[in-house]
Amino acid sequence: MGLQRVKAHAEIAEVWPRDGRIRLVGRIHGLPARDTAGSWELVLTRRAHPDRRLRYAADLKGDRFESELPVADLAAPDYAPVEEWDIHLSDGHVELRAGKHLDDIRGKKKIYVFPEQHVGNLGVRPYYTIKDNLSLECRTGGSA
Amino acid sequence: MTDRRPLPHVRYLLLHAYGRGGTIRTVMNQANSLVAAGWSVEIVSAVRRRDDIQFPLDDRVQASTVVDLREGAHTPPSGLVARWRDRKRDELLQTPALHIPKGEFGYRYFNRYVEDRLIAYMKSLTSGILVTTRPALNFLSADHATNGVIRVAQEHMNLGTHRKDVQKRIQETYPRFATVAVLTERDREEYAELLPGTEVIRIPNAVHSLDQVAADPKSKIAVAAGRLFPQKGFDMLIPAWAKLVESFPEWQLRIYGSGEKKSELRNLIDVHHLYNHVLLMGHTDRLDDELAKASFYVLSSRFEGLPMVMIEAMSHSLPVVSFDCPTGPADVLTHGVDGLLVAPEDPDALADAMAKLMADEAMRADMGVAAVLTAASYGPDAVHPRWEALFTDLHEQRHGTAAVAGSAKGHA
Repeated sequence: MGLQRVKAHAEIAEVWPRDGRIRLVGRIHGLPARDTAGSWELVLTRRAHPDRRLRYAADLKGDRFESELPVADLAAPDYAPVEEWDIHLSDGHVELRAGKHLDDIRGKKKIYVFPEQHVGNLGVRPYYTIKDNLSLECRTGGSA
Repeated sequence: MTDRRPLPHVRYLLLHAYGRGGTIRTVMNQANSLVAAGWSVEIVSAVRRRDDIQFPLDDRVQASTVVDLREGAHTPPSGLVARWRDRKRDELLQTPALHIPKGEFGYRYFNRYVEDRLIAYMKSLTSGILVTTRPALNFLSADHATNGVIRVAQEHMNLGTHRKDVQKRIQETYPRFATVAVLTERDREEYAELLPGTEVIRIPNAVHSLDQVAADPKSKIAVAAGRLFPQKGFDMLIPAWAKLVESFPEWQLRIYGSGEKKSELRNLIDVHHLYNHVLLMGHTDRLDDELAKASFYVLSSRFEGLPMVMIEAMSHSLPVVSFDCPTGPADVLTHGVDGLLVAPEDPDALADAMAKLMADEAMRADMGVAAVLTAASYGPDAVHPRWEALFTDLHEQRHGTAAVAGSAKGHA
């Protein structure tokens, strides 16, 4: 029991905010191989309204996943100046939080800094939370 | 005659002993070694803006300050004359320096008040050894430390890096020093040529320890470190990495340090889409641990004095890819043995050399072993006895060999 256990999650390898889309690449960590079969999707949950969800197909090869979303989908008429969306990977049974927990870097929030994507007056930026989970921050320009 | 101590008191004068720069760190290392060898050592800070010294300093090393600029350090006095003097102080603090050439990179830290206080301090010294550690302090020492103290000037920068007005003052004033100490062989030649008849010696800075964890050549991390400002050339390193990211997607470049160019560098990372591969790590108090995680070190500087973090990296068995900039890298590295030297300010050449090391784990391992051997000649045990020998010699010359009978040691 001396080993540090990291619970099952979607370990992010790369985040690509580019050309109005955000692409995520990573590996499913902590699930037996047979449990990674089936069809998976990327699930975004609006933190202030957990019933508001967006779903995208995720491509799985072995434990490696890849998925992407257009940032335009994140626009909403009822936004506060700053809104967050949390990212999970799900096969309909388990929901795995996306994050980066398997490397040695502490304080990822300030070290992995991703560029902001813009759609209209909405700015979307992926970021690591203080718990090293991956979320999206949406800023509504002008109205703030 | 009245001085009966076997060894003279050694004072190191730093601009800001409470800061974090490389010069400060190496001077503290020297002080620690000297005090451990039985010398009486004092670190004198020209100004003080912080409460605590930022590097490990032996308790036996005295620390003192000439002008304390911390908030609350100066209490406005009462009484008419005192208040007049106080106003005068404020005035002088706002008045630009008179004795320091504008081209001195530390010019903005000086003013008439700091100058006056430093001059008064230097005039008060009548014995021992005064080591000044940057041009501005060297110039003041040459002109004003004239009451019997033995003077040594340290130069941590190569001559060509100094602006013309500073070079001119160097030529005028450095011949008054008992010894001018520089860091590399190339510096020694250049300063000796400028200063005929002046004793110019090379003593490199020492790394703080040679007892370091060896890095693993399997690691796919490259590391660079330094203040985020133009001298360090990270603006050339980032585009160089952009050329490698497709062939070596699993590699990461970690740049340690903080500084005023952080947002410019961040933009460069965004422009080249390197946000997954090039990380601005910020300042770390545990650089040794971070160096040990990498498998090579990159030096992209436009110029250096003697790049100590590079040598520290080598003490962790890290090979180096470096621009052949003035001065230091070529003094330390043997191309193809413990690292790769490439044409200065050429990002393509830097990228090619990094690619060569990234593609070849055996090369990283071999060069890493060679690197640790090179670093050994910059260990405290190799370097610090040379300071002792120099100070002993100078003291003997001044007071006659009899004054220090028994402890005499010639320097090589």
